[in-house]
Amino acid sequence: MTKPESFITNGIRIDGRKPEEIRPITIEVGVLDRADGSCYIEHGLNKVLAAVYGPREVHPRHMQKPTTAIVRFRYNMASFSVEERKRPGPDRRSVEVSKVSREALEPVIFTEYFPKSSIDVFVEVLQADAGTRTVGINAASVALADAGIPMRGLVSACAVGKVDGELVLDLMKEEDNYGEADMPLAMTQTGEITLLQMDGNLTPEEFEKAIEMAQEGCKRIYEIQRNALIERYKRDIETEEEPLETPEEEPVEVETVVENEAEEETSEEVESE
Amino acid sequence: MSEKQRIVIPGDLVSRDPARRGDGTYVRDGSLYASLYGLVNEREKIRVVPLSGKYVPTRRDVVVGFVKEVTFSNWIVDIGSPYEGLLHVSEYPRRIELDEMSAHLGIGEAVLVEVKEVDPMMKVELTMRDRRLRVIRSGRIVEISPSKVPRLIGHGGSMISLIKGASDCSIVVGQNGRVWINGKGCDEGLAAEAIDKIESESHIPGLTDRLGRFFEETKNDADLNESDSEEEVVVESGEEAGKGNNIIDELLE
Amino acid sequence: MNDDVMNQLKKDYLYKLMLENKRADGRNFEEYREIEIQTDIIDKAEGSASIKLGNTYLVAGIKIQPGEPFPDTPDDGVIITNIELLPMASPIFEAGPPREDAVELARVIDRGIRESKAIDLKQLCITPGEKVWIIFIDIHVLNDGGNIMDAASLATTAALLKTKIPEKQYQLGNNNNDDKRLPIRNIPIATTATTLENTIILDPTNDEEQIAGTKLTIITNTNNTISAIQKSGREPLTPTQIQHITTLAKEQSQKLREKFLEV
Repeated sequence: MTKPESFITNGIRIDGRKPEEIRPITIEVGVLDRADGSCYIEHGLNKVLAAVYGPREVHPRHMQKPTTAIVRFRYNMASFSVEERKRPGPDRRSVEVSKVSREALEPVIFTEYFPKSSIDVFVEVLQADAGTRTVGINAASVALADAGIPMRGLVSACAVGKVDGELVLDLMKEEDNYGEADMPLAMTQTGEITLLQMDGNLTPEEFEKAIEMAQEGCKRIYEIQRNALIERYKRDIETEEEPLETPEEEPVEVETVVENEAEEETSEEVESE
Repeated sequence: MSEKQRIVIPGDLVSRDPARRGDGTYVRDGSLYASLYGLVNEREKIRVVPLSGKYVPTRRDVVVGFVKEVTFSNWIVDIGSPYEGLLHVSEYPRRIELDEMSAHLGIGEAVLVEVKEVDPMMKVELTMRDRRLRVIRSGRIVEISPSKVPRLIGHGGSMISLIKGASDCSIVVGQNGRVWINGKGCDEGLAAEAIDKIESESHIPGLTDRLGRFFEETKNDADLNESDSEEEVVVESGEEAGKGNNIIDELLE
Repeated sequence: MNDDVMNQLKKDYLYKLMLENKRADGRNFEEYREIEIQTDIIDKAEGSASIKLGNTYLVAGIKIQPGEPFPDTPDDGVIITNIELLPMASPIFEAGPPREDAVELARVIDRGIRESKAIDLKQLCITPGEKVWIIFIDIHVLNDGGNIMDAASLATTAALLKTKIPEKQYQLGNNNNDDKRLPIRNIPIATTATTLENTIILDPTNDEEQIAGTKLTIITNTNNTISAIQKSGREPLTPTQIQHITTLAKEQSQKLREKFLEV
C-alpha cells in the first residue's frame, strides 16, 4: 500500500464517500447454533463474527464474583484476515482491544442478575479493513441481545479520523494508515460514552467536533443494529395468517387453509421428481 | 382479541408509567424500558417475554437434571443453568446410607426434582421428596430453550395436551426447558418432533392450528409408509437409495 | 453446565437407534449431511473457502508469502497448516494454546496434502536455497457440529483449488498477466468414520462423536490412493472394520470430489 496523493478531492474521499458518510453495513443475527447468541457483520470490507456464551458457570472457579457476573471479551484476528499473514493467538494489540471492548459493553449489562457466573464474548475478525474494534463492539452488542442477556440498551461504535486536515467519519484502510488521527468511540442510546481512544493529533476544537461526528455515526449504526434484531423475528410473524378471531370467520379460514395445503403438496411433488 | 406482537430490544421504551413494571423491564428517568430482546406482554404489569436466555432457578420449579458428581452427602446436579443444583441425601425419597448414594443414583443419570430453595448466593437446593418426583430411568429427554416453556405448555396446558394426545405419551415439561417424554408403546419420536416444531415457531401466531395439521399429515404419511414398506426394502439392498442424499441421487440419474 | 459428559438416557437412546440401524437425524450410516461450500470469500487471502457440513461451520484461508526454505529442503516451497478450535465454536473449547485435538487435526490435514503431492513444492521455488513461496493454510472453526476433520479437509482443498500465487504483489515471477493459480495435481479428501460396537457410521455429529468407540480418518486422492490415515480414540479396531471403512472412504470421497470440486 502506498500513501495516496490526496485523501479528499472536491469534498469526496478516495472511496467515493463524503466526510460524514459511513461505509455500507449488513448485519445477520443468530448465525451460529452452539453459541447462546451470535451476530455477523460486514462493514465496508470488514467481516466480523461475534458470539456470546452465558451466563454460564465460571471456569476457573476462583474467578467468579459473589454478587455479579463477570464479563470476558476475547477479540481475535484470523491469520488470513490481514495483508500479511498473522501468527495465531493473541498479540499485544488484541489484548488491548479486548480490554477496551469489554469496558465498552460492561456498563450496559445487568451483571447483578447473574452472580457467580460469566458472560463470555468472542469476536473473530475474518477480514480486516480498518475499524475492526468498533465493528466487533457493534456485533457483540447484537450477539448479547440475541443471547437474551439483560441490558440497559445496545452499544454502538464507530471511528472518526483526520485526513488532509479534515475530519472524516468511519475511516477506511488508507485513511487509517496514513491519516493524522484515529478516534474510535462507542456510546449508548442515552449518549453515554463507553469507549474512547485517540491516537494522532487533534486540537481541542477538532476533538469536540470529532465527538459530535462520532455520536452522529453511532446513532445511524444503532438504527441498523436495531433493525437487524427486529426484522429477524418480524419477518416470520408477518408472513403467517392472523389467528382465528370469531367463529363466524371460520368458513373463510378453512378455505384459505385448504388452498395453502394444495400449494404445499404441489411443490413437494416437484421436488421428489 | 388478536394480540399485536410487538418486538422490542434492550433500551426500547415500553411505557411512561413505571408503576406497571414487570419482568424484563427496568426504570430510568421515570419511564419503563425493555431490558431484554423479546415480545412485549401488556396486562396489569408490562413485561417483556424473552426470545432466548438461560434458566434461572426459582423456588417451586420442577426441573429435569443430570447428575454431575456425587460428593460426601450431596448429588451435584446440572439443571441447565449457570447454577448447579444440590440434592442432599436427606432429600432422596427413601432413607439411604451415605455410602449407598452412588448405588441408588449415579453420575450421568437423570432426575425429576423440585427446587426447594435458592439463597441470595445462588446456592440451589433440590428435593425429590414428593410423589411426582423421581429418578428418570426410561423414556427420552429433549431440550428446548427455557424461554419457550410457557408456549410449549400453552394456555391451561392446551398445547402440551395436544401433543400428549397425538403421541399417546406422558410428558413432563421442566421449567428449565428439559422435557421428559415417556410411556409404554407411545410415539416418542412424534412427541419430540412436535416439541422441536413448537420451539422453532413459538413466536409465530397460529401455532395451534399448524400443530394440528402437522399431526394429521404425519399420521397420513405413517399410513402410506406402512403399505410401501416392502418396496423400500428391495431398493435399499440393491443400491444406497438414501433418503435425501443429494450426491447419490444425482449420480444415479 | 457440563457439556462434556453425555447423560445416560441419551446414550441409551442413541445406542438403541443404532441397533435399529438408525441415526438420530434419520441419515443412513454412510450418508453425509448437507454440504454448502463457498470459495473466494476472504478478499485479502490468496485463497479461501467456507463450508457448512450440517451444523459444522468453518473457514479456511490460504495466504502465500515469499520466505526462506527449510535448510534440508532448499528447493522446496513450504506448507504450514494450522487449525483454530475457536472458543465460539463450542462451550467446551477454551481460548489458549492449541489443544491436542487441534494439533492432531492440523497435522493430519497437512499430511493429506503433503503426501498426496497435490502441490509440487519444487514449483514453489523462487531462488534455490534462498527464497521460496510459503503456503499458510489457516482453518478457523466457527461452529462445531461434529466431524471437523472432513469439513476442514474439504474447505482446504476447495480453497487451494482457487488459490492464486501473488506474483504481481511481490514482483516475483516472469509474466505480466494476472497471478497464476496454484498448480494442484491431486485432490485429497478426508472421510471420517466412527465405530460403536459393530456399527460403522460416516460423518458423525457431536453426539455420535461423544458415544463413539473410536474414529478413523482416511484421506484419499483422485487416483484412489491413500495419502493419510489416522485412528483417533480409545477403543481398538479390527482389521475387518478397517477394511470396511477404507472401502467406504473410497466411494464417499469420489462422490464428494465429483460433486463439489468440479473435477
